[in-house]
Amino acid sequence: MVRHPDTPVSGRAAVLRRLARWCLAPWPAPPVTLRRGPLRPGVFRSRLRSTRMTSQLGVALGVAFGICFGTGLLSHLIQHPPGWFWWPARPVGLYRFTQGLHVATGLAAIPLLGAKLWSVYPRLFSWPPVRSIAHAAERASLGLLVAAALFLLVSGVLNISRWYAPMPFFFTAGHYWVAWLAVGGLLVHIGVHLPAVRAALTRPTGEPRQDGLNRRALLGGVAAASGLITLSTVGQTIRPLAGLAVLAPRHPDVGPQGLPVNRTAAGAGVRAAALDPAYRLRVTGPDRSVSLDLAALDRLPQYTAELPIACVEGWSATGTWTGVRLGDLVALVGADPRHSSAWVESLQVGGRYRACTVPPEHVRDPLTLIALRLGGEPLHLDHGYPARLIAPNRPGVLQTKWLSRIIVSGTP
Amino acid sequence: MKTRTGLIVGGCLLMAYAVVGALTDTDVAPGGVLLFLAAVLVGHDVAWMAAVLAVGVALTRVPPLYRPTIRTAVLTAAAVTVVGLPLALGFGRAADNASVLPLPYGRNLAAVLLVVAATTLLVCVVRRRQAVRNPKDPPSGVR
Repeated sequence: MVRHPDTPVSGRAAVLRRLARWCLAPWPAPPVTLRRGPLRPGVFRSRLRSTRMTSQLGVALGVAFGICFGTGLLSHLIQHPPGWFWWPARPVGLYRFTQGLHVATGLAAIPLLGAKLWSVYPRLFSWPPVRSIAHAAERASLGLLVAAALFLLVSGVLNISRWYAPMPFFFTAGHYWVAWLAVGGLLVHIGVHLPAVRAALTRPTGEPRQDGLNRRALLGGVAAASGLITLSTVGQTIRPLAGLAVLAPRHPDVGPQGLPVNRTAAGAGVRAAALDPAYRLRVTGPDRSVSLDLAALDRLPQYTAELPIACVEGWSATGTWTGVRLGDLVALVGADPRHSSAWVESLQVGGRYRACTVPPEHVRDPLTLIALRLGGEPLHLDHGYPARLIAPNRPGVLQTKWLSRIIVSGTP
Repeated sequence: MKTRTGLIVGGCLLMAYAVVGALTDTDVAPGGVLLFLAAVLVGHDVAWMAAVLAVGVALTRVPPLYRPTIRTAVLTAAAVTVVGLPLALGFGRAADNASVLPLPYGRNLAAVLLVVAATTLLVCVVRRRQAVRNPKDPPSGVR
């Protein structure tokens, strides 16, 4: 008969203690003969690396990733709103700000991530490679965190460069779920290293004066790199800096009628339908439906609004739009604009963004227009001729172009 | 300890949420995402870091007086190139949309790198003059 060597345990706490002991139990070290190449001691000799610098870079990177995650999640919720989510129509440029911040922060984080990974690179070759089950799990989660952080920044740069071939996945969905992976890995990483980070940031380091100067010089270099990237790109959304934006993927003035375009009429396959003289905009409400040609739309009261197109890719530009208030069209078909939502459809036959919902807070906003003109001229075909939605505080992908139908749901 | 346990447990739950979410999202190709995760990790840890370490070794030959300045310049140039190169290569340009990548990015990237080089040269000249005026001051960047 074989007896269990451990004393019997009872209760959840005892089970957890045993589990913890099992996870932390040291594994035998591998043979020293395997310790070759970068695994040898003293291979990485730079005195620039220090726990203090790694911690400082980590805090800055944590803030940057926190901003990117918060603004990115917000953008996702606006585009795919769950029942509990509410997004206001004002301030007009709030989404422009949050998404501009998302992309600018991600770009500025590139040198930060590079420096952080350089500062901890020798730990990749620490000996023994695995000390226990807990250590193996921590290293695995760290590997996932590094891969996820690189994934987010590299895919983000490729996306704003509109270079999709190297990405074997749908960017939006991949970027979104890997962001959750990165944030989870980041929390685990902070939890594991919190005492070391606290110690490095709060206690006197005792580092030689020269090491302190060099650490500050390197951190200054990282800040300079982040600053230069920001300065050369952020003008794609901050208009006064457009002249400096020599590496911005968009220029806010370049495009038909002085405004950039994301999807052209030819690309959307709507050119013929949009130019068809028989074009009608059908508006369907709870009481009645109307079918309006361009002349009929022109005869309705016209309003002008200064509103930005704020793209998920981080650029934005303001246009002067003129057209019919969506609220007026909603009232025309017998619904109350204060309590109605609208489903707007494009002439596009397919595509992810061919239709969208306009919630009541946007329907009742006087700035929400079915625009017919941009800068006083009829809309350019690529800007949505004959009619498009333009509403305050919404992502560009939800400003549906080449409208064919509006379905109003709400109270009469 | 409670804070650390909360962070680790919360982090694990978020990672599990990410995996389940990605596997159940019909828009996600899990194989493609995994391939890209592995590619960027290996690309960074093997190819990119080898280049960075080689540059680091080369920097040890730079006189200590100029080393921090040159290091900052190299770091800045590398970071700007990561952002500018995909634009300069121009694979994202669209024949029917002139507003996409509308600038001459190759020329602009070269101009930014030249500005970095010129600024670096200027700082090195200033440092040299300061060192000549105050020969007793130790140069920063001694490794």
